[in-house]
Amino acid sequence: MMIEDPYLGRYVTCVSARSTDKEILKKAQDGGIATALMVYALEQGIIDGTIVAGEGDRPWQSKPAVAMSREDILKAQGTKYNISPQISWLKEATRSYGLDKVGITGVCCQMQAVRKAQLYPINMRDIPGKVAFTVGLFCMENFPYKSMQSIVEDHAAQSLSSVKKMEITKGKFWVYTERGNVATVPLKDTHKYEQPGCHVCLDYVSNLGDISTGSVGSPDGWSTVFIRTKVGNEIWSRAVADGMFETKPIEEVKPGLDLLRKLAKEKIDKNQKTIEERKTFGVNKALRNPYA
Amino acid sequence: MTKVVEISPTTRHEGHSKLTLKVDDQGIVERGDWLSITPVRGIEKLAIGKTMEQVPKIASRVCGICPIAHTLASTEAMEASIGCEIPEDAKLLRVILHAANRLHSIALHNILILPDFYIPGTETKFNMFTKEEPARSVMARIARIREIGQTIGAITGGEAIHPSNPRIGGMYQNVSSRAKQKMADLAKEGLVLAHEQMEFMLEVIRNMQNRGFVEVGGKQIPIPKTLGYHNQGVMATSPMYGSSSLDEKPMWDIARWKETRPWDWYMGEVTIDLEDPSYPLGGTTKVGTKANPRMEACNGVPMYDGQPVEVGPRARLSTFKNFDEKGTFAQHIARQMEYPDCCYTILKCLDDLNTSGKVVADNIPLGDGSLGWAANEAPRGTDVHLAKVKDGRVLWYEMLVPTTWNFPTCSRALAGAPWEIAEMVVRAYDPCVSCATHMIVLDEENKIVAQKLMQW
Ligand SMILES: Cc1cc2nc3c(=O)[nH]c(=O)nc-3n(C[C@H](O)[C@H](O)[C@H](O)COP(=O)(O)OP(=O)(O)OC[C@H]3O[C@@H](n4cnc5c(N)ncnc54)[C@H](O)[C@@H]3O)c2cc1C
Ligand code: SF4
Ligand SMILES: [Fe+2]
Repeated sequence: MMIEDPYLGRYVTCVSARSTDKEILKKAQDGGIATALMVYALEQGIIDGTIVAGEGDRPWQSKPAVAMSREDILKAQGTKYNISPQISWLKEATRSYGLDKVGITGVCCQMQAVRKAQLYPINMRDIPGKVAFTVGLFCMENFPYKSMQSIVEDHAAQSLSSVKKMEITKGKFWVYTERGNVATVPLKDTHKYEQPGCHVCLDYVSNLGDISTGSVGSPDGWSTVFIRTKVGNEIWSRAVADGMFETKPIEEVKPGLDLLRKLAKEKIDKNQKTIEERKTFGVNKALRNPYA
Repeated sequence: MTKVVEISPTTRHEGHSKLTLKVDDQGIVERGDWLSITPVRGIEKLAIGKTMEQVPKIASRVCGICPIAHTLASTEAMEASIGCEIPEDAKLLRVILHAANRLHSIALHNILILPDFYIPGTETKFNMFTKEEPARSVMARIARIREIGQTIGAITGGEAIHPSNPRIGGMYQNVSSRAKQKMADLAKEGLVLAHEQMEFMLEVIRNMQNRGFVEVGGKQIPIPKTLGYHNQGVMATSPMYGSSSLDEKPMWDIARWKETRPWDWYMGEVTIDLEDPSYPLGGTTKVGTKANPRMEACNGVPMYDGQPVEVGPRARLSTFKNFDEKGTFAQHIARQMEYPDCCYTILKCLDDLNTSGKVVADNIPLGDGSLGWAANEAPRGTDVHLAKVKDGRVLWYEMLVPTTWNFPTCSRALAGAPWEIAEMVVRAYDPCVSCATHMIVLDEENKIVAQKLMQW
């Protein structure tokens, strides 16, 4: 039975979960769901490689990579709060990398891009049938690399090279360093750094992924997971049966779906307003509504 | 008494072309003119002032059938002009891309010509769209051969049509070891299929060659033993890949090439006075219509040693493998014989390919305006591109594509054929007419706007 929620999209089930793999949990942003799912799919032959947000040239810079081993998938763990153009490698994954069954991890807009590429494959010849499994992340906003640098280096006054983890939660941007420093920046100071496109984004929980996951709704170290499509459901059921994940019904955890729905509603309503405002912005030249 | 009959447009090949034929009382061609009526793109002029990186991408767009040949010939013409040697692994990737393209192209051409041929042992010609055997399984095999060629092309080239991976100085990226293995698996499968398809085609072609007659539009037309024979020479630069002015021993000689005008080569104004409404499909041009090949031709007429030459599989085989048959059927046979070599070449190159090797040259000079050329042995023949690059910009650019060479040669080869099977002669060249267009002479109302446009 499919559940339909105006803010959380269509899904079969929603659970709170975390990976049972100690190595994956060690470096996971939350419950290690994104990584564990891709590793499982790779080992089961469901995918033969996946696009992840790998390491860029500078500290905490993200750069898309095609990972074809457990080791390479694990290297991409942790949230990097700067843009990683995942879809730019979608075609290449099927070309010089030689993949036939491609996995993709990415934020909500990237899930949209994948579906669009499948539906209308301009410059994406032979791609539609090669997308085997997608795991979407929840996403409130993202930043250009230099913006993230300013937030961490200037506002939080930490050196990026010694940062261990970054996180956006409880109204703040958190920076944890190797030496144990914990610095926070209130989100009202980070808003101006967000990429403008995020202000017209009407998806918070990757409605178009096969499975989508994020931290909000579940306790620390656990993830909220939406199982959305047939492909997603099949992989999730097999992975749980094979002992890859511990799960709890989402109704039994705090803060649960209510908080998630509240944040989703806030994002979507706010961004809907921006879209409305843009309609009348400029002289006889309204900015385009990206959803029209 | 000589009459003029015209088949326009010709069908089952790429682009738009026509045949204006002077025939005798028996309908035998005395003089044939085969010319391009595809509008010119003007790529050579567009190229001027562009960067050397841009031009191969633009040149590739002249045609959707031969973009690989044009990308490679154009890129290598730039490299020849600036004097850039590319790394070995980049070269291997290019050869794989090239061979994969030839593999798919031969198979594609099989679909186009088979409707001219009889199923051996029957009086039925092939219809490639029926569910009936043998057409059904032959089509399935052709489709798979093409898929294999195109997939290998997409892996090495980035894209099987208008490849994105080749660049000045080599290739943008090498392939993964997984991709290399995938290509090897595909080429192994392709080799078996290519052999089967070659054997099948050879049987079909020999069967046709031994028939006395072919049915066209309800009439039995005799097939002369000398169908498609001509006395022009052949030109080829390599059995598989090509040559460039950077080679120690260049296989093409610019001094032997000269461009002439269609004005000097094709017949002047004629009036059609023979018409056959039963000629498939829809009959020939109406009696009373005027034709003017020398003004209508959208192709140039290049000469080698002062004469038109034949390029393509038969030219390659007779230059490098002592193949001594002539004419239409020999061209078909030579083309089928190139099938397995495509797969062997891919496998050989994969054996040598180091997937961690570098694929971009360390030093890519910007050019001093020197002339460089590169010839690529495209499926349908020698594709020569010439360029002068200075400070990274293209000063001058010329494309001498296979079908341009073949237009005048094939025109000569039409003599002696019953006009009803002139199209069979044309199809044996696997023409790609879009590529072969050179200059424009018509405006929107089809009026001549520039007489003798090219004068020098
Ligand atoms: C820009 C951004 C904003 C987010 N905002 C929220 C939010 O508001 N609320 C919420 O609950 N969750 C949010 N998340 C998701 C959350 O931070 C975790 O990424 C998610 O819970 C997955 O954690 P994990 O332990 O399952 O994965 P891990 O095992 O840690 O793996 C992380 C995965 O995320 C991918 N990834 C990392 N950075 C990027 C990036 N920049 N672009 C694309 N993919 C990336 C990697 O490829 C990897 O597959 C956001 C994520 C990103 C990237
Ligand atoms: S907020 Fe929307 S547009 Fe911005 S990165 Fe996240 S998913 Fe993409
Ligand atoms: Fe062409």
